[in-house]
Amino acid sequence: MQSLFARTVISYLMVFAVPMILPVAFVKLVGLGGLRDLVTYEARDTPLHKLDPRLKVLYPVGMGILSIILSWNFMLIVFALSVLPWIWLRPSRQKIRVLMVMVIGPALTGFWSQGLYYLPNPPIHFLYKFPWTISWLGSPGITTFGMVFGLQQTARVLVTVSTSMLVLVSTDVGDFTWAFERFRAPPQVGFALTAALRFLPDMISRTTLVLRAVELRGYDLSRPRWFQVARWPDYVRRVCRCVVIITVPLLVGTLRGTTTMAMVADARGFGAKKRRGSLIEHHTTAVDIWGYAILVALVVTAVVLNHFHIGARVYG
Amino acid sequence: MSAGEVVLITGASGCGKSTLALALCGLIPSRVHGELRGSVRFEDRSLRELAPHEASQLVGMVFQNPNLQLINQTVQSEVAFGPENLALPQPEIAARVQWCLDVTGMAKMRHAAVVSLSGGEKQRTAIAATLAMRPRILVLDEPLSDLDPVGAQEVLATLQHLARESGTGIVVIEHRVDEVAPWADRVVLMSGGKIIGDRPPREAWEDQAPWLATGVGIPDMVRLSHALPDVFGGRVALSVEEAVSSLAETWFVPALAGAAGDVPMPDGAGDQLAGTGGGTPPVLSWDGVSVDFDGKLAVDDVTLSIAEGEWVTLVGANGSGKSTLTGLTVGLGKPSSGTVRFRGKPVRPGRIFEQSAHTALLLQAADEMLFAETVLGELEFGTRFRALPPDPVLDVEGAIDFFGFRGLEQTSPWELSQGGRQRLALAAILVGAPGVLVLDEPTTGQDADHKRAFLHLLDRVRERTGLTVVTVTHDIRTVASRASRVILLGEGRVRLDGPASAIFARTGELETWGVLAPPLARLQADLLGSGQSRVLLDVDSLLAAVTAGAARSGAS
Repeated sequence: MQSLFARTVISYLMVFAVPMILPVAFVKLVGLGGLRDLVTYEARDTPLHKLDPRLKVLYPVGMGILSIILSWNFMLIVFALSVLPWIWLRPSRQKIRVLMVMVIGPALTGFWSQGLYYLPNPPIHFLYKFPWTISWLGSPGITTFGMVFGLQQTARVLVTVSTSMLVLVSTDVGDFTWAFERFRAPPQVGFALTAALRFLPDMISRTTLVLRAVELRGYDLSRPRWFQVARWPDYVRRVCRCVVIITVPLLVGTLRGTTTMAMVADARGFGAKKRRGSLIEHHTTAVDIWGYAILVALVVTAVVLNHFHIGARVYG
Repeated sequence: MSAGEVVLITGASGCGKSTLALALCGLIPSRVHGELRGSVRFEDRSLRELAPHEASQLVGMVFQNPNLQLINQTVQSEVAFGPENLALPQPEIAARVQWCLDVTGMAKMRHAAVVSLSGGEKQRTAIAATLAMRPRILVLDEPLSDLDPVGAQEVLATLQHLARESGTGIVVIEHRVDEVAPWADRVVLMSGGKIIGDRPPREAWEDQAPWLATGVGIPDMVRLSHALPDVFGGRVALSVEEAVSSLAETWFVPALAGAAGDVPMPDGAGDQLAGTGGGTPPVLSWDGVSVDFDGKLAVDDVTLSIAEGEWVTLVGANGSGKSTLTGLTVGLGKPSSGTVRFRGKPVRPGRIFEQSAHTALLLQAADEMLFAETVLGELEFGTRFRALPPDPVLDVEGAIDFFGFRGLEQTSPWELSQGGRQRLALAAILVGAPGVLVLDEPTTGQDADHKRAFLHLLDRVRERTGLTVVTVTHDIRTVASRASRVILLGEGRVRLDGPASAIFARTGELETWGVLAPPLARLQADLLGSGQSRVLLDVDSLLAAVTAGAARSGAS
């Protein structure tokens, strides 16, 4: 295992394993269809669904602030706090599977890439030092410091991702629009969000349909088995070429769709009045007040502690 | 138009129906580029001078594709969107939403996600959302195009209820004339951007010349009424029910009964309905196939075989499993149990490229299948990635001549008409000569003339190539009736399987599974009772048989 050859093989596996595993995991466990599920609202009767939409819009913002200003040890608590509501929500299995891939994927990427390329000041402790046959790629080896740093950065991003996803899954778009209205945001903000969340799943469905159509027309998109290494470059080439091929029908269809949508929005009086009415009137409940209080307390406490250099991030 | 009037506007594809609809709603020239001469007036107001949201409270429009006009995530929020934009008070919004959902039969689904709705439910939601603006006139552009016949009747009943109960004027733009005419107060025929006929439905076909010239179909009951004026007492029947009441006590019934034995049966088809497939080895077979989507069975233990050269049509309500079943033949989707075979070899799920060399599938959205910059490029597309067989029945040059694209080789596919693009997509998938052609709703949104042309083309293709054809369709009258074999699917299972003349005699069973038999079949079943084993499916054959039957029985 100490020979140059063995160390080279191990090193190449370490460097390329993650970039190779992640796309495969995405295709196998999520796919385009799974991506469609990621942003769709799940109508359920949970306390989270009933929360004031304004609180739900503020929740990722507040947690995002905490994830930015707090040091790593405190971040662990924030991260745990962002995961807890998921237990309350009990999403569908399909959603959990997609979320896990979407969470673990970036975590693994951050952990791995920072381990390879984030170099602390000497002396550097290498977990595995690469031989010259691979170090020319730019990384002298995997460092413990880099991996820990990667984990910290990933956790910060995941707090915002997790809280945003939680809100998307548990909030009807109409409620988002209502919340933005109450925040005095222009109606266009709510409409843009509504249209995006409504048509993103459709866009993904259309892409799937066009990909099937291109195969029906005789274009080979069949994936080689993992051990058919020689066939993978050709597969990647075919996939890249396919992106160009399917762009025209996708673009034509999308432009037609947006024209109709614009006419429908006009016909339904969008923009006719400065303020909009609302079918649903959300009344602030005791649970909402508790929610606001906890969120404000968390952010204020973090800011105050930060001011006194407790739990604050160290720069430089 | 008067309040509460239902007007059917029809005409050949490209005659200006949809443009007229956009003008009626005040969207031309404000939202659709064009020069508008003349004016559209609601009472004393010109729609041109109103903002779109003001015009839409007078004339509302339901666009052709319901999917593109549902902007929100749930049914309730979609219907509330318009009144919310008008900043109405909450009780008024709630009342409008409730009324619209009640009148369109969507109240039970108010919290359902839009993406989970069927085509008919989406159409009803679009109508409800437009109604929420409280328009005095409602314009619907091809509202039936994605609906099965039963769903179409439900939507039409909803529209008539609206007209009668609330005085809303209804304009329906539609090719499916025979289905809409019984519900209409006026029928308007357009050609070349002009209105060439505008009469009550019973008088609309007195002069048949413009209908024949424009290629718009004449309803079977109308044709029958005109062919037998004495029996109908000079009255024109618009629906099967009206025809039955006119014919019930006349010589027509015994003559029809006498003619019933003359109904020709296709080869190999007896009185017993069964999956025939002929004596030859099957080209396609499904052996105990089930398909499960998240615990819901879309296809349930289907065993079927299709013989070489057959033309089989699958019919059934929306969601009955037709497209799922045919998709399996090219590797789209994976059976949860059972095997699909092509010429005895199992079809491998997901290997669409491999299977497309044997089985060509034309999607309903044929536009999604065009990828090249020119007609020639489109026809050569498949050959760039896969070698043609040594002696193809149809090569690129052959396809150019056969499908009429000579001289158009360098034209962009997007410059062709919709019918032309569909013809091009069909030509492109046939180059390379597959053994089976699967067509998913090939005539949706086409006028009668285009349907006839397409089916004629299909006949020529079959003659030349001996192709096995499998069609999935709601178009019972035109497509299903021409197939050599019809299979009825209901809730994922095969419910009936046999020749068209025998299947369409089972009107009661068809209706149970959400399919309306062709009007002529229902007429024969209603007049002679549901025990008939066979029915005639075109007016000329029926008239000839009845005349012969009358002569035999001595009636006149």
